[in-house]
This record gives sequence, structure tokens and C-alpha cells, in this order.
Amino acid sequence: MTLLDICSYAVEEALKQNADEAEAYTMLDKEAEIFLESSDLKQVKSHRKTSIGIRVFVKNSLGFTSVNSIEKEKVLDAVNNAIKIARSSPKDKHNVLPKKSKVKLLRGIYDPHAENFEPADATKYAIEMLKTACSYDRRVSVDSGTFNSSVVTHALCNSNDTELEETISVFSWNIMGMAIDEDDVSNFDFQFNGTHSMKEIDVNSTAEEFARSVVNTLNAKKIDSLKGTMLLSPNAVHELLQEVITFAINSQNVQKGTSKFAKMLGKKVASSKLTVIDDATFTDGLGAESFDREGVAHMKNVIISNGVLKRYIYNTYTAKKDGAKSTGNASGSTNSPPSVGTTNVIFENGKHSLDSIIKEIKKGIVINRFSGNINPINGDFSGVVKGGHLIENGSIASPVKEVMVAGNVFEALKKIAYISRERKKIFDSFLPYISVDGISFTGG
Amino acid sequence: MQISIEDLKKFMEEARGASYVELRYHARTLNEIRVSKGELDRIRSVVNNGIGIRVLVGGCWGFSSTGEMSKESIMDSINDAISSAVLLSKNKKRKVEKLADANLAVGTFKPRVNGNLTDYGIEDKVRMVIDSEKSVRKFSGKIKAAFCTYRETIDHKMIVTSDGASAELFDSKPEFSVTAVAKESGNSATATEGKGVTGGWKDLFNSKSADNIAKEAAKKAVKLLKAKQPKGERTQIILDPGMVGLISHEAIGHTVEADFVLSGSIVKDKMGQKVASDLVTLVDSGPSQFIDGAAGTVYVDDEGVLTGRTAIIEHGIMRSYLHNRETAAIFSAEPTGNARAYEYDNEPLIRMRNTFIEPGTYSYNEIIKETKHGYLMKGARNGQADANGEFMFGSQEAYLIENGEIKQLMRGASISGRALDVLITIDAVGKDFQYDIGTGYCGKYQPMKVDGGGPHIRCTAIIGGIQ
Repeated sequence: MTLLDICSYAVEEALKQNADEAEAYTMLDKEAEIFLESSDLKQVKSHRKTSIGIRVFVKNSLGFTSVNSIEKEKVLDAVNNAIKIARSSPKDKHNVLPKKSKVKLLRGIYDPHAENFEPADATKYAIEMLKTACSYDRRVSVDSGTFNSSVVTHALCNSNDTELEETISVFSWNIMGMAIDEDDVSNFDFQFNGTHSMKEIDVNSTAEEFARSVVNTLNAKKIDSLKGTMLLSPNAVHELLQEVITFAINSQNVQKGTSKFAKMLGKKVASSKLTVIDDATFTDGLGAESFDREGVAHMKNVIISNGVLKRYIYNTYTAKKDGAKSTGNASGSTNSPPSVGTTNVIFENGKHSLDSIIKEIKKGIVINRFSGNINPINGDFSGVVKGGHLIENGSIASPVKEVMVAGNVFEALKKIAYISRERKKIFDSFLPYISVDGISFTGG
Repeated sequence: MQISIEDLKKFMEEARGASYVELRYHARTLNEIRVSKGELDRIRSVVNNGIGIRVLVGGCWGFSSTGEMSKESIMDSINDAISSAVLLSKNKKRKVEKLADANLAVGTFKPRVNGNLTDYGIEDKVRMVIDSEKSVRKFSGKIKAAFCTYRETIDHKMIVTSDGASAELFDSKPEFSVTAVAKESGNSATATEGKGVTGGWKDLFNSKSADNIAKEAAKKAVKLLKAKQPKGERTQIILDPGMVGLISHEAIGHTVEADFVLSGSIVKDKMGQKVASDLVTLVDSGPSQFIDGAAGTVYVDDEGVLTGRTAIIEHGIMRSYLHNRETAAIFSAEPTGNARAYEYDNEPLIRMRNTFIEPGTYSYNEIIKETKHGYLMKGARNGQADANGEFMFGSQEAYLIENGEIKQLMRGASISGRALDVLITIDAVGKDFQYDIGTGYCGKYQPMKVDGGGPHIRCTAIIGGIQ
């Protein structure tokens, strides 16, 4: 049976049992992965996984089950259980499936070479990544890393005549570790990236960036507490700003009263230098797909334009609540009912080069990574600066250690001083460097 | 096809050419219910069954897994695992020379369960979550949002290894958590309360009812509305049991995972040395010590090794790392039963279980009374550890302490320091004990259910705040 066959079988069975609406979403995932540990190869792993998620509405009550098999017997059990759950769930009039959506399949997210990609090929790339990192500097120690190739086919059927299927290839890799110079141990650094296409695999830049980053933070100094500029690297923009923005633009959080951006449509929420876009059709990003978790066509959504909030992201359920249209942001896997999530998040680049931004900073800290706690509801953050460097009078001084940073993301968004021209693709994000003035740093 | 332990043994015998074979059948049911604003946000039942196969060929590991229980599919997976290991043997520098002898489990293992989770219907569970969420919002007009989540995992495992482990394991881990969001004149504050255990429905609610957990979260969020951010400084800090669990896990636990020690962790040359104040005995335990039902409880690890109490630090002296059978052989140590895999398609990695500091002699009141200036940090949030021992973890609340008295409540903050520097500064260890991070998961390539706790302790560290 094909994936679509099993999906329509599940939908038919659910309708037979008096479901008013039904949806089945399946995935077939073929994966090969090589795992690195302690600067050596650790393990090769391969598997082929299938799974199905079944969502039913019985009189507007939700039932959902998932099972890691597409054998008819097990799928039927899952359908029965979903119906049983729906009969125990409260009613909610917003529980409806989307109408059939016009989906245009994206090109450039499937590389047929991936079908014949063997564990031996993955091993070759993993060794290359390790060699590049270790030969950069003898003090580099690779704690762990992986190279993974996967071919995922996802298919969806629902009782509104939707039948969709597409295959996506993803090659991804990551490397994590530190630099060790006798008694001096640097901060951890973690770099990762990926691509849809075999010929764009580039483990060397990732390995070099990792190695450079850990070596550069050796011999870090403690500093006195200060108030000054924080310059966020693309990784830190991801950890600190993007996380809070994606929470605040999510219609689920707006409706639950936890988003700071509630009632702010059309209003200024950030510096006019900031433009943020969610775009699943950006095929370079690893979040690219043609249709979302409930079969709605993906589209490009401008979220924040020159600091003004333009829209929230919706799935069918949250859109119905607001009398809006789904933005194609139903997200999730086969193991849970669709929620709302971003796809590829793109921050538009600024006008200034990174060098010229640094020259403008009198006193501040470059944050390579942020390790801490962020409250996405009120925007408070408090944590440790990782891979940090002191900036004094327009130039980067020594690496720093045991420096904590605290503040509020929503205030920081309004106080953005500069956004860099340079951007970095990190998996499903495309991010610049961003500087913000007036931030509190606590030294050891 | 229904799989028995005898079937697994037969398949294992067919794995030719491997010096070690491990077959692990793992069937997991995860049920989850989440409610907010009187609406059911999420309900799901997820079944994940399969066999994970790990082999050692020529000193190299190969791993494969299958969710299909047919003989053909299982044999294919065994062969995949073997060819993966052979592939690795051409390129791997340091081969696995041997696996340490271990106390291998034979028999059936079950936790003590009060109130089988399967005896409670889905209707009852949905009702409990809906009622609790309502209770949070009813607590005060200032509560603007509430989220209640109930989650349970029910596991059945069978583990066989070619050197004699043959164990059938049952497990049951429910958890319940409540988040309350309070708002007033532009301010907002968030508080979370919850509990996670190994056991049954009655074990989950044996100390506090769902309604009490809900009300506590609400009360805390309302109180936090008026709190200001603390001033950032290096100062004395009193940690509550949950925070002690986090410091044990983040600051020390990760640095003593033997795979990480091999990569050059800060404790690599510290065995037998003084690394903490004499008052500190820090333990990672498979069984639940002192109090039953800690959420990270495992009796047998995923290499089939019987677990026990592993004293990492005893009276300030570093005594043990956390091992699997491979690292135990490298360090000439006993395996500690820390090899854990999240689901059938994950390979076992060195992971913690229940990590805590053992109780001392101080009363809580004494600890507070003796503190001239500092903070009492309550309610564990996220934490992380770094290669150089620099750790970070957050609290929900921070009470200012001046001249032995608890003063005003400040917003929660993160604290940081170097693990070994901070452990040396511990100058008071309370005589109370509690596990309190049982709703949490630890992340290291795979998620994992862990727990942690301890008594109240006092140490010196940096609190991140406003300048």
C-alpha cells in the first residue's frame, strides 16, 4: 500500500464510524546517521520509519492518535482509539478541517541523489568535518557531532478531498565541543547546518566556524559589571530574539492572552530597522515544504515590516476563531495534532557592515551564544554570555568569562541600534548580527 | 506479531560475526491532555513500538531499529547494524577493546504503582485537567491565562544481550504541570508548579491534589506581579530542593558523564580529589532514595545493567563518574547503569537518573538566620552546563535576605558560576529532602526523563540582574 492509500483507508474507516471529519497524515523517513564522539567516530545508525497521525472530529470534539506503523490492522486500532477519545473530549465549534487548498509543489527541496546516499557517504563527510575542525588548531576538542541524511515523504488525506504527497531530502550536520589549552577550557560551541541538495553539502565551513569560535574564547578574562551595547551574533539572535518573536506572533498565544503582540496589529513593535518574514517557499531554508501539517498551501508571510506588526501566523483552528484565513502555519509531526509554528524565519539584512557596527560601539559585549532563561510572555531574559568578547572603543578586545546578561527582549527590539548587512543561514532561519544599546552585564 | 523474550534470544543468535549483540524491544504509549482558557488545546495518544539493535563488530558499534515486528524486518535490521559496524571499523581510530563486566539483570522488574494509569479512563483525566485549569483562573481576577498539562508514559521493555542480560521491564511515569500567567497594569508574571513521578495516579497526587497544585501556581504568579528584578551580584544564595536538583544535574552531573570526561571535561583529573565542601555528598541513583517514586527511577538500564546508588562526590571527594559498559572498561570502573535510550529507535547514551545532594544537619531556619545578605531562590527553571564547568540555571522566585530575615520577593533570575568553585562554597546543607524536577526532561541528542532534588543548601554564586 502506498502512503496515500493508507491515509485514505484511515479517513474512510473514521467516516464509517461516524466521524464528521477525518484527516490522516503519514510520514516515511529513511535515515542514515553517523555519530562522532571524543574526536573519533562513534557509531553508524540507519533506519526506515513509518508513522501515521489520525485526527477525527465527532460533533466538533477532537480525537487524535498516532502509531509508528502503516499496517492496516494497527491503523484501524488507531482510528478506533481516536474516535473513542473524541467521544470523551469537550466540544469546540472551531474544530473543523481546512477546505481543499490549491497546492503548487515546490522545486529544489528534493535531490534524487539522496535515495542512493549510503552510510558510507555519510561517514566520509563526518570524517571530513572532524579533520577540518581538528586540523584548524591542535587545542580543538570535538565532544560530539553528527552527519545525517534523510529522505522524508509526507502524505495527507482528509474528508474534504485533499490528497497531497511530497518528498523532501535533507542533509544535516552538527559539531559541538571546546578548545583545551592545559588548564584552560573554553566555552562549548555548537554549530550546525544543512541543505536539501547533495552538491551543497559544506561541512568544512561549519567545522571551521566551530573551531575558530572555541579557540577564540580561550584565555577569557573576568570583567567588572557594566552597562553597554550587546552585539548579538546570528546564533544569539536566534536564541534570544527569534524565540520571543515567534512566540508573540503565534495566534495560539495571542488568543490565550500570553502574547505581548495581542492587539498590536498595525502598530510599532520594534525599531523601524527590523523586518521579519516567515516563508516556507524559501527553498534554501530547511523549513521549506509545499503544504502545511493540515494540507494548506504554504506562502510567504511578512510578519513585521519596518518595525510594524503586519500579521499573526494561523492554522485553520486559530484562524476560524479570529475570523481570519490560515496563513499555512499548521505545524507538527505525525505524533500530535496540528499546532501553529513558523517555517523559515528570515530577518531582512541591514545597511551596515559588521565591521562598521563594531566601530560604533564604545563599550559592550559580543554575544556568540546565549545560555539562559527567557520568558516569552513578558520578554524578561537572564542568562550567561557564551563565547563572549569585550568591545572597547570600536574594537574587539579580550574574550570574557562568567558574564551574565539580563534585560527584556521587547524593550531590546525597540532599541535596536544596527542590523548587519551580513546574514547567516542557520537551518530554517536566515539571520543578521544585531546590536542593542543600554544592556546590563554582571561580571564575576 | 507478538514478541516474547524467547523470540528476541532466537533473533540474537542469528547475528553472526558480532562479538556483542543487544536487542531491546520497547513499546511505549504516551497520552497527553492540555487545557487552557477552558479549551482543550491538545489531546493525543501515541503508540511507538519497535526493536533497537546494537552490535559490536571488530570493536565498532552499529545500531539499527525497526518498528515492524516481522522476522524479515528484524533480520534486515540486524544485518544493517552489522554492516554499519563493519563500515565504521575501517575508519575508527580507537576501537572498543572490551565491555566491563556488569551485574546483568535477569527477570521481571516493575516499579511500585498505586493506582494503575490504565484503570483511570480518558474522561476522568480530561475532567481533572479542565477542572484544574478553571481553578487557576478562578483564583484571582489578575490571572489572565492558565495552562494545565497531564502527560503519562507507559512502557514495556525486554532487553537481551549476548552475554546474558534477559530482563522484562514495566514502567509508568505520569506528570502534571500548571502554568499561571498574571497581568496587572502592563506588568505580567508567570509561575509554574507541577509534579512528575514513577508510579501511578495516586502516587502523582499523594502529597498535593491537582487543585492544590493549580492554586499554588496561581498564588505565585499573582505575588510575582509586584516583584522587581534583583540586582546582579556575586552573593550568598540559598537554593530550594528543586534548585539543588538542578545544580546537581547541570553543574556536576553532566561533567561526570564518562563520555564527556573522555572529551576533556573539567573533572578529568579529579578522581579521589577534594572538589566540594565536606558537607557535600552528591549522588545519581537508579532507585528512588529517601522518598519513593522519583521520576528518573530506573531499575535496569538499556544495556541490561542493574542500577544502584552511585556516589559521585562523597563528603567533598570525587568518587565516581557515570558509566556505560564501554566507558567503565576504559576507566577500569564498575558500570553504573547509566546507559539509557529514549525510545526503541534511539541508542543508549550515558544519561543521569535521579541526581541529588544528600541531607545534612542544618534546619531551614538556621540557614536563613545565619545569612547576612543574599537570596533565597525557589522554583527550578531551565539549566545548562558548559565544557569549562560554567553552569547556568534559573529560578522562578528570588527572595532578598537581609540580616537573617526573608525580605521582599524579587523576580526569578538565573544564577551562574563555575561548578567546582561553587561546590566548595557550600557552607550549609539542610536536613530536609525532596525531589522536585520530575516534570523536566534532560536533552542530549535524545530527551530523557530525569529527576533531582535534595535539602535546602547555601552557596555563593553570581545572580544575573540589573546594574
